[in-house]
Amino acid sequence: MDISSAIALSSQFLLQRQTDAIANNLANLSTTGFKAQHRTFAEYLIQNPDGTTSSSVQETGTARDMSQGPISQTGNPLDVAIDGEGFLAVGTPFGPRYTRAGHFQIDNTGQLVTSQGNPVLNPTNNPIVVPEGGADITVSQDGTITTKEGVAGKLQLVTFADANALRASAGGLYTTTQVPQPVADGRIVQGALEGSNVQPVIELTRLMSVERGNSYAKDFIDGEANRIQTALDHLGKVP
Amino acid sequence: MRSLNIAATGMLAQQLNVEVISNNIANLNTTAFKRQRAEFQDLLYENQRAAGASSSDNGTIVPVGVDVGTGVKAAAVYRITQQGTLLNTNNPLDIAISGRGYFQVQMPDGTTAYSRAGSFQLSPTGEIVTADGYVVQPGITLPNNTVAVTVNASGQVLAEIAGQTSQQTIGQFQLATFPNEAGLAQLGGNLLKQTEASGTPITGNPGSTGFGTIQQGFLETSNVNVVSEITNLITAQRAYEMNSKVIQVSDDMAASLTQIR
Repeated sequence: MDISSAIALSSQFLLQRQTDAIANNLANLSTTGFKAQHRTFAEYLIQNPDGTTSSSVQETGTARDMSQGPISQTGNPLDVAIDGEGFLAVGTPFGPRYTRAGHFQIDNTGQLVTSQGNPVLNPTNNPIVVPEGGADITVSQDGTITTKEGVAGKLQLVTFADANALRASAGGLYTTTQVPQPVADGRIVQGALEGSNVQPVIELTRLMSVERGNSYAKDFIDGEANRIQTALDHLGKVP
Repeated sequence: MRSLNIAATGMLAQQLNVEVISNNIANLNTTAFKRQRAEFQDLLYENQRAAGASSSDNGTIVPVGVDVGTGVKAAAVYRITQQGTLLNTNNPLDIAISGRGYFQVQMPDGTTAYSRAGSFQLSPTGEIVTADGYVVQPGITLPNNTVAVTVNASGQVLAEIAGQTSQQTIGQFQLATFPNEAGLAQLGGNLLKQTEASGTPITGNPGSTGFGTIQQGFLETSNVNVVSEITNLITAQRAYEMNSKVIQVSDDMAASLTQIR
């Protein structure tokens, strides 16, 4: 294949990957604490044998939109939403993970756990235990959990120097090698959850432009094939 | 074409969402029904280029990696155990719990189920039973010539018997609470069952620490909020449509690829 078609192909290849990202954003339209992701592309220069360069396109990374998702009331006292920056620390068998999905429960041993059953951690990285029969659970703005029997613990609200460098793993959990910094003036809202920050209008517009881009690339490849075919036909007629 | 499968997981999730919402709306008038909510989580990420990997011999690193999401799954459908409004029925055997706790109901197979629906009746022998005829534990039997029954806030059952001047205490309602109420399994018929996740029941008299109080002549209505359910329904429907649009576009793109010469 000649270089011009290869360039168009590189664009089609990336458009397909962009569709994957849009599909994942739209699939997670109702996922608690989900952050939209977008692919970033960069120009990639191909060195031709004659010393000139041709421009192609390459994927460089996935950018995460860390903007606030809408906070909606659920009425469940164990649902918490973070208003502003920060993540809540969760203990997993593989080490601490960080999440903005604050749908928590109390398990049969009284520990505060996520919907996957992982314990929610306090600032000293220990699970939070709510005393048996501890009714009327309140979570204050700074994450302090209080029941009728007194203070049961505090949620660990942390932030990171580079939130975009956090790696997403399944279940709304993030992992990182960065050192977490406690958030001093966090705002935790009880009885509410942070919705997904995916904006359907933007995703659908992107989807449409991907569709157009794909058909342009296809037309280009078709045109190139025609051009070569015509050239070959004419060359064949040269006496 | 991952996008086809990703959009399919999105459509499945929204379908479940609509099912949960429709069940909430269907149970709008069910006594003591607790509304449910579907909780979703993102699926595993395919890490194609790791952030922090070195990008040159001089030690520069990749600032942002390439993480490809693979869709969504349902993590939980959980009950929101918010108190429902108490509705006055004036029926002496309609008993509502205001606060925490469940009535204990003896199932025909001998196990105990838990319920907040206090629309009780009498059995042929005068025992207090649920609308399905299951005995409420601990069993309370009204004497034959009872004129009126009073249940006070702490669950004491007092009967006024014909020919006697003072009321007689004939029983005591008991409530059960659980460390993790959301972990109770639903049996249908307003009944819940203890599971490993719920923890073991703690029983006590109404009004004591950690337990709600009893309101005679009232029923707890469902805690479904119609307005928010309808709003959720519209959102779910639109999200479903958007995911199907992704499938359509992915299909168009695949079709155009097969036409390239």
